Amino acid sequence: MGFVSGALVPVNAFIGALFLLSTILLMAFRQVEGYMRYFIWQSVLLVLSTADLAVIRGSPNLFIVAVITLAAKVIMIPLLLRRVLHDELRTRREVELVINTQASLLVALLLSVMAYILVIPVLPFAPSGAAVNLPVGLDVLLIGMYTLAIRREAVPQMLALMAIDNGVFYAGVSITDSPAIIELAAGLEGVMVVVVVTILARTIAQHIGSTAVGHMATLKEGESR
Amino acid sequence: MILVALPVTALVAAAVAALRPWTNLPRMATAVAGVLEFLITLDVAIRVGQGATLQVPAAGIGVDGLAAVLLLLQGFVGMTASLYSWGYIRQLTEANRDRERWYHVNLNLFLASLFVVPLLLVPALAWVAVELTTVLSIFLVALENHHAALEAAWKYAVITIMGATAAALGIFLLLWGLSMRAPAAPQTWSAIIAAGPHMPAPLVRLAFVLIVIGFGTKVGFVPLHTWLPDAHSQAPTPVCALLSGVEVSTALYMILRLWPVFTTSPGFPAATWAIVIGLVSVGTAAFLLVQVHDYKRLFAFSTVEHMGILLAALGFGPLGAYAAIYQLLTHGLTKSLAFYTSGGVLIRTGTRDISEIRGLMQFAPWEGWSLLLAGLAIAGAPPFAVFLSEFSVVRSAYAVHDYWAIGLLLGFLLIAFLGILWQLTKMLFGTPHSDRRARSPRSLPLTVVLSAVPVVLLGVYLPAPLHHLFQMAAMNLRR
Repeated sequence: MGFVSGALVPVNAFIGALFLLSTILLMAFRQVEGYMRYFIWQSVLLVLSTADLAVIRGSPNLFIVAVITLAAKVIMIPLLLRRVLHDELRTRREVELVINTQASLLVALLLSVMAYILVIPVLPFAPSGAAVNLPVGLDVLLIGMYTLAIRREAVPQMLALMAIDNGVFYAGVSITDSPAIIELAAGLEGVMVVVVVTILARTIAQHIGSTAVGHMATLKEGESR
Repeated sequence: MILVALPVTALVAAAVAALRPWTNLPRMATAVAGVLEFLITLDVAIRVGQGATLQVPAAGIGVDGLAAVLLLLQGFVGMTASLYSWGYIRQLTEANRDRERWYHVNLNLFLASLFVVPLLLVPALAWVAVELTTVLSIFLVALENHHAALEAAWKYAVITIMGATAAALGIFLLLWGLSMRAPAAPQTWSAIIAAGPHMPAPLVRLAFVLIVIGFGTKVGFVPLHTWLPDAHSQAPTPVCALLSGVEVSTALYMILRLWPVFTTSPGFPAATWAIVIGLVSVGTAAFLLVQVHDYKRLFAFSTVEHMGILLAALGFGPLGAYAAIYQLLTHGLTKSLAFYTSGGVLIRTGTRDISEIRGLMQFAPWEGWSLLLAGLAIAGAPPFAVFLSEFSVVRSAYAVHDYWAIGLLLGFLLIAFLGILWQLTKMLFGTPHSDRRARSPRSLPLTVVLSAVPVVLLGVYLPAPLHHLFQMAAMNLRR
């Protein structure tokens, strides 16, 4: 490992800290516009970490992944969302939360500890960089799931879904740099999922008047309709 | 190259359906492609059963016993769903030709994505294909475009995509384990299975959690099943049949493929976990069956129950693996039949509410009888196919002396059986509230009869070639 690569390992750790921070802000923030901003931050950090690992490993595959992520998550998806959901972002600023921010932060802390405990037994086998990426990626996966559960609106739920995706890739790029085809396909997949889900969210908005999916409670057991 | 022909047929049908020369073309394309696809899958299954190696490793595609069983199920239910759509969707879309055409395009694309999953030898690509099946079926679920259908589609999309994403991390972990052992090996199912016993045990354990939770969300294991009854009841009937009969089995196929990795990892009690998760699903679904108010949800919960039985069977040794494959096929065939008959009742009565339907046998004897027989078949009564497969599950549990599991399983099966029949008898007998006489399209009873054929045949005997194919598939679940 050369001098440059040696210096890049702590850089990756720093990026990891910011990546986790952006996820927690995404969870705690109360404005749709803010979610969007922190999602873009998070995606930029994912790109940086991937590029950093690409240099450390000398892996061209990871560079391709970084470029794909940049194009899809940092540029295309935010543009698409802004375009299709322009009014949505403007008008629906305050978002109703199921659990207040303080309690959520506590949950995020517990999830972080849990993610670390789950990953500890695997770490002895991990390549350089993965010691940060693996626990942080799993943590972002868990916090993303929690965020998805407490959100009550379509756009925030969609962004939480993609934050989970970012977490998985953040962990993934640190442990595999083999055929880029996986990441390639998955990157394309991400874009498509968003396209479809966006259109669906739009349809819901047109039909019900708002995208507050939390108020959808028609389908359940125990009462006859 | 017969393997490639399968998704290509569906894609061509989608393309033809997208044209608009005359109004019957879309549904004709779907029907013809459905029959062709079934014939192809039948041919593939027969050839695999005779020991032909249908593998093209260079192209990353191939079919073995396990994949052939899934393909056969997909082919048959795909065909019946295509034929059922003929009249049903015309009636549902109320002669809105554009929506009908759009449905046929989407249905064929969905079928193409389903066929691709068992063909792929590379897990990462198979994962992408499973994601595609979700994406392409969202609009099918939301076809009716009213509040409840959209709600169901949204839940379905968000929850299952979240699950699949978690499973992706599990696949990443296993690929990492593979690269530790054999850095240059092709990243196929078989390479991962071969490297399985040499991977670090904590890594396999973490991957197991992520993969079972991830794909389990799409299969509908309790407590990740919450979206399933909604999506599987709100979708139009042929789509319900495909989702409940084939789509969940396709998601489960991903877990089955990786099963040998988990069982061969030293010190990891994968079998015990399968039994526990399976029985929790069977038990919860059995009790939930009793209190539903919607007969399509009744069958949806029955899917959760059957997936639980299937997973539990994986824990019962080599005989259990055979029983699981058996159950996979019989459940898919029978569940699609059950949904087809319930679609007939829906057209006839115009309601999904059990309490609003009385005396079906009197004012609609055909719909009543077919619903009763399909209900008996899915509940596991002899002489239908599910009875034999459930019997083989119980026998495999007996072979490994797991008496606790047998006791619980039989208890839950009994509750589910009584639950289904109790709900159905409420609808079938008594004095009719109304005698609405909506005519159902003629293609409907024909499809019901066609899809009942294997359910009855497999209930009396299991043809030797099929038995042989099951054995080959069961071998794929072991090392």
